[in-house]
Amino acid sequence: MDLELSEEESELRDNVRAVLAGVCPPAVVRAVYEGKGDAAPVWARMVELYWPALAIAEDHGGLGLGFVEVALVAEELGRAVVPSPFLATVTQFAPVVRELDAANGLLDRVAAGEVTGTVALAERGSWELSAVTATAEESAEGWVLQGTKSAVLDGAEADEVLVVARGAEGLGVFVVPRPALAITPRTVVDPTSPLADVVLDGVVVPPDRVLAAPGTTGVAEALERAGQEATVALAAATVGACRVIFEQTVEYAKVREQYGRPIGSFQALKHRMADMYLAVERAQSLCYFAALTIAEDDPRRAEAASMAKAAAGECQRLVVQDGLQLHGGIGMTWEHDLHFLLKRAIAGDALYGNAVHHRSRLAQMLGLVA
Amino acid sequence: MKLTFGDDVEAFRQEFLAWLADNRPTAEEMAADPAVSSAHVPEWASRWTRRLFDAGWLVPGWPPERGGRNAGPVEVLVYLEALSRAGVPRTTNPQGLGIVAPSILDYGTDAQIKDYALAVLHGEKAACLGMSEPGAGSDLASLSTRAVLDGDQFVINGQKVWTSGANYADFCFLFCRTDPDAPKHKGISVILVDMNTPGITVRPLAEIVKPEHPDLNEVFFSDVVVPRENLVGKMNDGWAMANGSLAHERGMVWLNFVMHMEQDVASLLAQAPAALARMEAPERAVVADGLVESIIDATAARCLGYRGFAKLVRGGSAPEQALMKAFCSEAQRRITLRSAEMSADHTVDIGVTPASDPTWIERYFTSYGGTISAGSSEIQRNIIAEKVLGLPR
Repeated sequence: MDLELSEEESELRDNVRAVLAGVCPPAVVRAVYEGKGDAAPVWARMVELYWPALAIAEDHGGLGLGFVEVALVAEELGRAVVPSPFLATVTQFAPVVRELDAANGLLDRVAAGEVTGTVALAERGSWELSAVTATAEESAEGWVLQGTKSAVLDGAEADEVLVVARGAEGLGVFVVPRPALAITPRTVVDPTSPLADVVLDGVVVPPDRVLAAPGTTGVAEALERAGQEATVALAAATVGACRVIFEQTVEYAKVREQYGRPIGSFQALKHRMADMYLAVERAQSLCYFAALTIAEDDPRRAEAASMAKAAAGECQRLVVQDGLQLHGGIGMTWEHDLHFLLKRAIAGDALYGNAVHHRSRLAQMLGLVA
Repeated sequence: MKLTFGDDVEAFRQEFLAWLADNRPTAEEMAADPAVSSAHVPEWASRWTRRLFDAGWLVPGWPPERGGRNAGPVEVLVYLEALSRAGVPRTTNPQGLGIVAPSILDYGTDAQIKDYALAVLHGEKAACLGMSEPGAGSDLASLSTRAVLDGDQFVINGQKVWTSGANYADFCFLFCRTDPDAPKHKGISVILVDMNTPGITVRPLAEIVKPEHPDLNEVFFSDVVVPRENLVGKMNDGWAMANGSLAHERGMVWLNFVMHMEQDVASLLAQAPAALARMEAPERAVVADGLVESIIDATAARCLGYRGFAKLVRGGSAPEQALMKAFCSEAQRRITLRSAEMSADHTVDIGVTPASDPTWIERYFTSYGGTISAGSSEIQRNIIAEKVLGLPR
């Protein structure tokens, strides 16, 4: 097993980092936070560079690369706290389409940057398929959906929303244009990861917009598999944000002086930064491993994805706590950029199942609890 | 990044596995005469060491003239994994093989290489490492054992402590002060001292878990006379060797930890269903979460180790050794506690053996060897902070 980036992978990461530094500096993040900014040019640049097309097959106009490349981009998006539809569109929407009906043209449109999307799966805070109670009932005009979805990433912004609902025969997936849905944006900790609640108040989905009708074989497996990609991408983005918090904390501790010495010379603080380093490295190593299991279709991918997400969440807790504490008063101010990263890391833990959720999933997968 | 190694590495693994199947000591041989100290070389181990050496499998990463086969770091990793999975010890004198012999090969004279380094590599002699003193543990530069040159011989006086295997070793790779007037780390030399020399007293330190098989010792030197030609390298140049020796030691630590963690976790998981079934649901959830943490730790440790290795393979340095040492030893300690958590009367019954043969209390106390020896977890954190993160002293 080789868990360091190849030359091509390092190059991609460096390019992505350089592009994001240019197009999405902290000023852009701040503008989005303060409701004054428009992040559209960031996404336009990403489309220009074919980032949405990275892992889409060449048959559908994509570049045909793998999930490792997607995870590397996701990590950089976390590092720069980028507001963009990338995570929802590329790591949530596109994998579900690919798994269920790659031929319907949506992948081609994602690859071309013509459409953004998201997945409305979670209900009442749970991302488990077993928690889905939204219903789909067949009628003369099409499928009628009822229910409420929570915490849909980019729910108020995406062009297309994939809705997971339960019919008599089992789970189905429907492509609903955003204007057809009753959407309530949530007031969130991290405005660069906007969430919305979606009410399916009898919305009718015509037959040509049914991605997988209830009763289609393999729907649950396809959703699980796509969910693993979303989970690992979020873990990678969270690790990216955590690593910057850690790096900035170390740099700050080298220059901030108290009692005539840099605070980074105090052993109590050194040990805390060593522990932050361990937490970041531990989570990043598990993210790389999980990304590889997805890229190489390894049977360990379900466990690896949950391990990566759990470790990223645990890392977030430690790094946010110690990063903020070690910055002292300056870290408590709105003017300092640190809080963008802290909030992005917290949001990354919460979405698609937090550390506690994925630890309990692991316990189930390993047969330790029912 | 890739999940698998290349075909050449697989071929290397198969070649070694085939050789191992034909040449390994049997489980019966090993069980009949177990090594009871880290410098105790039972007869089977001596023959096994020589077979490994002659076939180029004792230290495959070394060049052929030193008994290796120029294997790269990934091949060495694969080789160590194969031995560990087969349940065969690579050596019963790990410090001799891992630290003392390579240091003598690097710095010693031809005669020292023949009489000491090769003797260790042939399984004929066992070495102990004389570094720590009551006043100089991690702070090696503070050592005070004196060697005074008197004509053609050194006269040594002083005391060492925590000397693993001194009660069985044939010789000691001894760090002593040869220039008391020089700055602390500039007056240290290394001398090879036969343990049968008059004036040496070894006092085994019975440990909290295995008083009948002490591995750690105090060693007292009282006017011990050693020929001048036993000086390794240059006079007063021992500090360079100390840094080299410790690097040898830290470089090989992580894989052992990872393999042990994985074995322990697998064993815990095998026994978990029955143990958890005896518990009420709330308790079961807490214990299961502890197990999950340990599984994540073990997987993370292997991934972290592989990342460091990948850096070495690409020709870089892997500054994560200190990180691996601190993380793995502490995770190992947590894992041993999971054994106790899984048993109903864990805190009173020292006979409880859920995870493997030794009792949980023995494994728990032994795990502190990992977080204390070879630079405690606290020292490792200082190294990470200063050498890796660049924080000021």
